[in-house]
Amino acid sequence: MSITLAVNGALATVAAEPRTHLADLLRGELLLTGTHLGCEHGVCGACTVEVDGAPARSCLIHAGACGGASVRTIEGFAEDAVMAALRESFSAEHALQCGYCTPGMLVVARDIVLRLPDADEARVREELAGNLCRCTGYRGIVRAILGVLAARRAAA
Amino acid sequence: MTPTPSKGVGASLRRKEDARFLHGRGRYVGDIRPAGTLEVAFLRSPVAHARLLGVQKPDGGLVFTAADLPGIAPIRANSALPGFRASDQPALAQGKLRHVGELIAACVAPSRAEAEDLAAACLLDYEALPVIADMLAARAPGAALIHEHWPDNAFLETRRDEDLSDLDACAAAKVHRRLRTARQHMAPLEGRGVLAEWDPRLEQLIVTTAAQMPHVTKTGLAECLGLDEGQVRVVAPDVGGGFGYKGILLAEELVCAALAMRLGRPVRWIEDRLEQLTANANCREHYYDVTAWADEQGKLLGVEVDATVDAGAYSLYPFSACLEAAQIGSIFPGPYTLPRFRFRTVSACTNKPPILPYRGVARTGVCYAMETTLDALARQLKLPPEAVRQANLVPPDAMPYRNLVGKVFDSGDYPEALRRAVAAVDVAAVRARQAAGEAVGFGLSVFCEQGAHGTSVYHGWGIPFVPGFEQAQARFTPDGVLELRVGLHSHGQGLETTLAQVAHEILGVDPARVRLVHGDTALTPYSTGTWGSRAMVMAGGAVAEACRQLGERALAIGAALLQTDRASVRLVAGQVVAGDAAVSLDQVARTWFRSPQNLPTDVDRGGLEVTAGYRPDPDTGTHSYAAHAVVAKVCTETGMVTLEQYVIVEDGGVLVNPMIVDGQVLGGVAQGIGTALYEEMPFDTEGQPLAGTLADYLLPGATEVPDIRIDHMETPSPWTRFGQKGLGESGAIGPPAAIVNAINDALAPLGAEVLDLPATPARVLAALTKAGRA
Repeated sequence: MSITLAVNGALATVAAEPRTHLADLLRGELLLTGTHLGCEHGVCGACTVEVDGAPARSCLIHAGACGGASVRTIEGFAEDAVMAALRESFSAEHALQCGYCTPGMLVVARDIVLRLPDADEARVREELAGNLCRCTGYRGIVRAILGVLAARRAAA
Repeated sequence: MTPTPSKGVGASLRRKEDARFLHGRGRYVGDIRPAGTLEVAFLRSPVAHARLLGVQKPDGGLVFTAADLPGIAPIRANSALPGFRASDQPALAQGKLRHVGELIAACVAPSRAEAEDLAAACLLDYEALPVIADMLAARAPGAALIHEHWPDNAFLETRRDEDLSDLDACAAAKVHRRLRTARQHMAPLEGRGVLAEWDPRLEQLIVTTAAQMPHVTKTGLAECLGLDEGQVRVVAPDVGGGFGYKGILLAEELVCAALAMRLGRPVRWIEDRLEQLTANANCREHYYDVTAWADEQGKLLGVEVDATVDAGAYSLYPFSACLEAAQIGSIFPGPYTLPRFRFRTVSACTNKPPILPYRGVARTGVCYAMETTLDALARQLKLPPEAVRQANLVPPDAMPYRNLVGKVFDSGDYPEALRRAVAAVDVAAVRARQAAGEAVGFGLSVFCEQGAHGTSVYHGWGIPFVPGFEQAQARFTPDGVLELRVGLHSHGQGLETTLAQVAHEILGVDPARVRLVHGDTALTPYSTGTWGSRAMVMAGGAVAEACRQLGERALAIGAALLQTDRASVRLVAGQVVAGDAAVSLDQVARTWFRSPQNLPTDVDRGGLEVTAGYRPDPDTGTHSYAAHAVVAKVCTETGMVTLEQYVIVEDGGVLVNPMIVDGQVLGGVAQGIGTALYEEMPFDTEGQPLAGTLADYLLPGATEVPDIRIDHMETPSPWTRFGQKGLGESGAIGPPAAIVNAINDALAPLGAEVLDLPATPARVLAALTKAGRA
């Protein structure tokens, strides 16, 4: 089947088998390998991308259901100030080691920062419950997000 | 001017590798797909023990069984320990199936989905055999034999005999416990993956694989495929977590390699989570029968332990099936001055996936057995748990200390670590809450971690490789960038940063101008790889030595440029200095490579590329150590455990990058919390794995890991280049013991005790039920 969708701001028309999920389409057809696959059943969150403005598991969405959708992957945040702040904060807080969960974490972290400006540590941890990291023990990730939240509150 | 302290050894320098990961530019095996690549799906055994009678292939598909790929020698990881029985692990099953998930056939197609269709269309003919799904059943007389030419189902049995029969009469306390730890999956977020290509011009096999030990993989591939090592190049690109899971020669690597040579096309296999969980849950399953005797102060008089490790169906390359069980005897005394000790260990062969050493290796189970036993003694003697430990810890003035089984501890103040950990928790408040009837408890564990142990330790094991002199290459490019080449691999440990810090410490080159090359056997010196908490000690020492020698070469050239002699120049902050005159290392490099006319003809001709070997002396290993203190609350209605406080006092010697060290400790603790409370791969009596997704096999998430406090001591190791110690595994060792001790402290007033890991709500409730309290 043929699917037309917007990916990182550019229209793409691609052919895919009906059983192809969005993550395989992004990685295999569009060579956007920053989106990672960890479990392919929606638990680990490594494949999280933005679909029509909200975080979504790209392993659980059939590519064929994405006709007309607007998808943003980790490669699509170059001009985004919130993502830039998160990247800086993730590095400062040592919020990543092997890097495999990191793109999905960042997409979710950005959503937390924009949607929950007053989130405290407990809320941030709860919001991260759908994203697994096997390396860091989460402390750096939680602190990195709290740091960006605090900086934005201070600047507001 | 000395090198800026903010960038050398001891600096919490931000990681050089972060930028690519933060932008999604990491490059893992699954991201690499050359034109024309064929994908492999494996037909795997659906049963745990059977005679394989035949495979009926679908018409027209590319399906390869063992008979179709002759010439691959079986994987054989031997050990020189007396009595060890090596297994032959075929790349594809031959005659027998010995665990669920064993490879039977490779199905090859343009896409993975089509390859899986082929696998689903194959028909298997097999005759079921009795299944050994439990390690104690494997040891029972008359058990079905998994390797039929063996007399029983044991890879190895080790023992130390000492008569302890007098202790019953003289001990003030005696405890006996039977303890089990669950079989786990290491679960790096990225699975395994292999891309094999044959280069007809070089007549070389190129295997890109998610590997912790690329050179060992290369050696194993060459041996099993009958190639010389020059014909094999192994590339490990970015690797999404190791933890031991990727320290192995894979049957999948052999099959993909053979297929690439046969088909003349790139061939790729990417492990999915179902394969990872059902075919490769491969660590941590121990059983302990422990008896301990102590005097009235809690001083241990003797310990007897009978330990069994479920080693699964085969001996994996290179670590073998016995590495885990056979070291239980030598590490069981832990950080204590145990006077008398008797043990027996068995590496039991079962119809389960073969085991690999997971972060902490046997220490996590050993620490659990020893530390819960000490708490049982403390309860019986009505002593605080810290008092029993203080009565037994190796004192600092005994360092270096050689214990009764010959382990040598290099340095440290173990009692002080324990004192600090206890002081960091308000134990009195816990006791007050207990007095008020609350099910809350305080738990401790103290342990040490041997790391970077080398030839003197491993030659006795006689496994396929013995670690020796770690090598590093240091070289300047013509524009003055310092390139470091090491044969081990960094997959989260931050070596691209920390080894640059080491180089900065020696040469003064800015870490931003240092580039680490690793993970490619064609570009790096041979190494046994990243395992055993050895990278910072071994590669750190090798890089330092290579940089020192490179500095000597640069000084000779610099002296010539400054028209003075070698004795008159020094290396200062990246410059060769003589009095007020100086030339930068950039100028030295540019001159050597591009303007040799500016050098005298008798200049030192060694050049600006150095490979140096390093080995600590003695090389019995560093011992980092830690005390963990936990406050846990138990809900006696649901069995749920909440970790209220978690404190760690850790001594890893001199810390090269404290930020990265904390990251290693925290990540290890999260895995240890998984071992303690959540992670378990159950098997039914037919050897069928009962968790197939991460919704069944529970990994700790952000809500399960508390905010952990870490306090550091920094006792240098007297034996390493900078006094650093290996500590990458430490965090994963202590949590199960400390957490279950806290749980049992909370349950003690109710007469209940948890013995088996993980301490799930079901096990906590079962303990309460057994005590008549639920």
